[in-house]
Amino acid sequence: MKKIQAFQTNSLSEGIVSFAQFAREHGLNVGIQETQDALQASCLGILNNKDVFRHALKSLFCTSPEEMMVFDQLFSLYWDTNPIDLQKRKGKVNIQGSVNKKANASLVMLGMGNAQAEPEEDAKNVSGANEAERLKKTDLSLLTILEAEQLEEIARKLCKQMAVRMRRRMKQNRKHGTLYLRKTIRRSIASGGEPIQLFHQMKTPKKQRLIVLLDISGSMDKYSFFLLRFICALRDHFRQLEAFVFSTSLKRITKAMKPQQLERVLKNISENTDHWSGGTRIGECMKQFNDIFGKRMLNGSPTVLILSDGLDTGDADLLGAELQKIHARSKRTIWLNPLKGMKGYQPLAKGMKAALPSVDDFRSAHNLESLLELEKLLMHA
Amino acid sequence: MPIDELKYPEQLGQFLDSHQYVADAEMLTSLFLLLKLNKPLLLEGPPGVGKTEAALVLSQWLDVPLIRLQCYEGLDVNAAVYEWNYQKQLLGIRMQEGSTMSSQEKEQKIFSEEYLLKRPLLQAISQADKSPVLLVDELDRSDEEFEAFLLELLSAFQITIPELGTIKAKHKPYIILTSNRTRELSDALKRRCLYHWIGYPGLEKEMSIVKKRLPGIEENLLKQVVEYVQSFRQLKLIKTPGISETIDWAESMMALGYREVNSRAMEQTLGAILKTTEDIEQVRLSVGETI
Repeated sequence: MKKIQAFQTNSLSEGIVSFAQFAREHGLNVGIQETQDALQASCLGILNNKDVFRHALKSLFCTSPEEMMVFDQLFSLYWDTNPIDLQKRKGKVNIQGSVNKKANASLVMLGMGNAQAEPEEDAKNVSGANEAERLKKTDLSLLTILEAEQLEEIARKLCKQMAVRMRRRMKQNRKHGTLYLRKTIRRSIASGGEPIQLFHQMKTPKKQRLIVLLDISGSMDKYSFFLLRFICALRDHFRQLEAFVFSTSLKRITKAMKPQQLERVLKNISENTDHWSGGTRIGECMKQFNDIFGKRMLNGSPTVLILSDGLDTGDADLLGAELQKIHARSKRTIWLNPLKGMKGYQPLAKGMKAALPSVDDFRSAHNLESLLELEKLLMHA
Repeated sequence: MPIDELKYPEQLGQFLDSHQYVADAEMLTSLFLLLKLNKPLLLEGPPGVGKTEAALVLSQWLDVPLIRLQCYEGLDVNAAVYEWNYQKQLLGIRMQEGSTMSSQEKEQKIFSEEYLLKRPLLQAISQADKSPVLLVDELDRSDEEFEAFLLELLSAFQITIPELGTIKAKHKPYIILTSNRTRELSDALKRRCLYHWIGYPGLEKEMSIVKKRLPGIEENLLKQVVEYVQSFRQLKLIKTPGISETIDWAESMMALGYREVNSRAMEQTLGAILKTTEDIEQVRLSVGETI
């Protein structure tokens, strides 16, 4: 019989071991090593104080503040439950908020946040290799709730791989640079200490800065979520990444671009309704960027990445003029437009038309695959 | 006090208390386990809440040296673990010229411990008489590759140098790692560590910390300062003030002879606690109404 409460076990060691199992089932990363450590800790004479015991197990079993919160619930549920209370509940254990459950910000972003229905767990296991390939090619605006969740998972993995790959490639390029003394001396032993063959080592090239401007207006909101995740992954490569979102006004989100805060950022932005899904005044936002941040951030020729569909309700001439300013001071200006993925798309929207002369690369960004293709472009950025 | 005498986490608490470090029960238990199980402890939390300080105090308690490795982007093995002393090696090769050693012997000599420069991590495991405290500070700033180097040290307390072989620790160091969580550390690393999250303290705790550091502070000023800092943390500031900033602020108030927080005092000392003009502006706006 599976033991889900401490009183069902016969000895303390058994209790601890089955608590470890219990914690593992609820999403904590508790392996054999952790269990062993817990048993060892219990021999240290800390058992006479329940709080100390709890703190000790917490320190051993948790790896993040989020997990620590879940742990407290698990602990009291497991160790504190009185058998008499339990009979009323008929042994059903319900933990509020397991570790892997997210705020489901993706759904909010995709305009499905109001659908409160829990996604069905049974239907989730359909993802195979083909499914993943298909999802990568699916236009982001056409995803269902279920697919959006799956794609999010895939995107997270691929984006991480991409970030690692980009870093690694930078380092293999070692032909010139400073003398690599370690290798030179080692090889010079063969020739009696005469360093005949010199070896060089190149320092990892300093990463260029990247400035990202993301449109989060109504016409973009189907895409914005994945684009934001993509930006987050780029952050690993470009340590100096500045991120902004804009619709009717500009907002700097650089500080918030940490992976574990992404969900919160999305929620914050989406609650801010005048930002979210309002009209777009790209020109004014670009002006705002130039006025407030331009001086500070556009020095040293960074690469500027703009993610927008170019559907502008503001002044198109202003957009053209402001973008030209940005273009003049950046190494490269890249514009990603999700609409470009549609068949027969022509950049006819007046905003887009005004912007194009100041854009070095005009690309599509309608599905995950097209985003990942950017890797090559940004490698040399 | 030697470790053998340490039976309860509370004992640790008394000492830390006398050394001006206020730790809660959870923190004490984590430190207790660090000492007893000899597992590295990963401390995470926002800047300025006393993560680094914990290692300092621990080394004082144990009366052992503190070896510190400050992580930064681009930190590599040469700066963290070891480096060969190239100048000495070159000289060594020259001096061997007349000798009758085979080239294999020569190589062995050139790559012996004599020619090795020990960097913090290697120092930490090659201490002769006592286990030191090793502080790996702000690990999240280093590259992910560097984390991988650490794994061997954290789990097996050994370091492998290709030319020399594996060096095992005679006395296992007590390792404390700190991180501001600017990026997620790898699971492999986390699994080898105990974990403790240090958040911003509550009103009571922060007051007692400041009081510990500034014994001369007046009760009235102390309370006001801490209350203000606590309210600042509720605002969405670019740089949220940590405890060390609170102490700085209280100290500058005292130095200027203020006995309470008023608008003039604010005006003069806000720079001690807030570090960007945007933040100062925002706080002025929100505080201006209350004073």
